[in-house]
Amino acid sequence: MALSFACALGHAPGILAWREAAPAAQRERLYEAFGQLRMRLEAARLDCLVLFTAEHWANFFLDHMSPYCIGRAQEFAGPIEPWLKMDRAMVPGAPDLAEAILTACQEHDIEPGFSYEMQLDHGTMIPLHFLTPDMRLPIVPIVINTLAPPLPTPRRCFLLGRAVGGVVRRDARRVGVIATGGMSHDPGELNHGRIDESFDRKFLDAMKLGDAERLRSYTVDQLRAAGAGAVELLNWIALGGALEGARGEVLAYEPVVPWATGIGAMSFDVMGAS
Amino acid sequence: MSLYALQKAIRDVNRDPAKRAAFFASPAGLAAQYPLSASERDALERRDYAALYALGVHGLLLRPFSILHSVSEADYLRAIRGKG
Repeated sequence: MALSFACALGHAPGILAWREAAPAAQRERLYEAFGQLRMRLEAARLDCLVLFTAEHWANFFLDHMSPYCIGRAQEFAGPIEPWLKMDRAMVPGAPDLAEAILTACQEHDIEPGFSYEMQLDHGTMIPLHFLTPDMRLPIVPIVINTLAPPLPTPRRCFLLGRAVGGVVRRDARRVGVIATGGMSHDPGELNHGRIDESFDRKFLDAMKLGDAERLRSYTVDQLRAAGAGAVELLNWIALGGALEGARGEVLAYEPVVPWATGIGAMSFDVMGAS
Repeated sequence: MSLYALQKAIRDVNRDPAKRAAFFASPAGLAAQYPLSASERDALERRDYAALYALGVHGLLLRPFSILHSVSEADYLRAIRGKG
């Protein structure tokens, strides 16, 4: 079994760029949880990491949007944001694993796009900053379209995740799978700053239980009702597909008003999965 | 009708240093490079955030565009909420 680690965590720019704006107690609880995730990731002795992630008009625009784009570059540069208060880095890719994922997706009747040239923004770099700060673990970013409707459905993202999970389980390497983004937030939109804590906690419950039926049966509209950015939970639902029912543990959840988002941090018991 | 072109102009200003410099030098000159309707062109040239938002520009394009012009979060939100 090569699925050796799984987690989900937020990627709000404020986590680094406006860290002092958050109440210290909330910030410390989140940093503590991210530190826990890093310790578990290191204990898993990973060879590479697959990320279900989002980007924010960094690479892709309306001239060509894919529902999912798999990064098969030799290396990725990021972050693109000079104001993010983290160093720019080159992160190695894992193009052979990316190719195996692409091939398996085709066999599962899913046709993702792919890219040999992808830059990373805060959506991927903030999680990496906390999980793999030396930036040496090779990655396969899988960017799900969370920007331009129509978005892929949760049902479909779950299937994508299942295909990815199958590849990872068959792979000889020790692979981690993570989801980034969410939870409720409406960045740059009318309800910027509104956090729907009850929505977030229900979603965390479904992830905690590995409840495939609940995750698959969300609709894009239900996610979007919690804010334009809450559709990034499609990444988490894809992770749910990869996990095949594995239980999760919520290490932290904080509705951080100055960062204008609900932030969750979860770890999953991949060894106990069927 | 030309929301695509409007968003493309804003995305180019956000991401392409040459386009950004062109916009800062002459908003009308930059706007003329894109097939915009009269109201879109006007909103872009005047950086009318309320109008741009109402025309359908995505928040993650419009808010970074406003940051280029040092607009505070509070002022930006007041504008798009029609209270500016």
